[in-house]
Amino acid sequence: MTPAEEPVPVPVLRLPRGPDGRGRGFESRRRHPARGEAEAQRARARLRRRFLRALAAARGRPARFWLRAGVRVDATFGAADREAAALLVEALRTPLGLQEAALLRGPDVLCFRFPLP
Amino acid sequence: MNEWQKKSPLEWETYLNKLVKVAVIEKHECEGWVLTVDPVSASIVLATFPENESVSISVVLGHAVEEVEILKEGDDEMEQRLSCIFAPEESKAYSPEELEKRKNNLKTWLETNHIPITEQGESGKTLCVAGVLTIDPPYGPEECSSSNEIILSRVQGLIQGYLEKNQ
Repeated sequence: MTPAEEPVPVPVLRLPRGPDGRGRGFESRRRHPARGEAEAQRARARLRRRFLRALAAARGRPARFWLRAGVRVDATFGAADREAAALLVEALRTPLGLQEAALLRGPDVLCFRFPLP
Repeated sequence: MNEWQKKSPLEWETYLNKLVKVAVIEKHECEGWVLTVDPVSASIVLATFPENESVSISVVLGHAVEEVEILKEGDDEMEQRLSCIFAPEESKAYSPEELEKRKNNLKTWLETNHIPITEQGESGKTLCVAGVLTIDPPYGPEECSSSNEIILSRVQGLIQGYLEKNQ
């Protein structure tokens, strides 16, 4: 007969209360957002929605990119990631030739421009 | 993070529909009408209307913004013009009676296909499928919303087929 497996007790680290008398290293329970926060969140959503529509409109359009150190390149806009930390482009014209696809690093890009159809 | 990136969404919103000149790092400059400011990257989207050409859109990445100077306030006409640039495609305008008819036809068809459907929302304009998917007027595949991708794609396919058959 096999002995029943005893559950191994897990040590729990319990921190002392912080100097302001609350929190043992945990975030306090979420409060309802203050009215100001809700306003800001609505504004954030409106702005973001427009930005995403702008990116969607840029897709497939011929664009010109101004990068750091005076570099300027032309390419077809593909997509951007969530924080615009990387931009996907296609048909990137470089002095070395045409790159079918490339990722431009967001921090390297200063601005880009594209015409709407 | 630069000063521009530290602003709040409500502050960024105050720049909408204004003609601005953006001083970009490395001595660049960008001028145009503010369409939006991305709250995630603080990137500014500007529109310009060159003569005899279609609208040109410029995006200045948030990290590259040095200063934003407001040159002019946009009037109602400009605001209207700017809001149309990225507006979702205008659907054919349906009259209230047409919408009601479309809704009832779709509802009947779904019911005969044993799909649980109810009406909800103010004045019952929204259809609700199985409690997980909603269909807004004018009741096409693009007006379906759901958090379940599989159900969404199935129902969109059904509606697409239904509309093609009955159009």
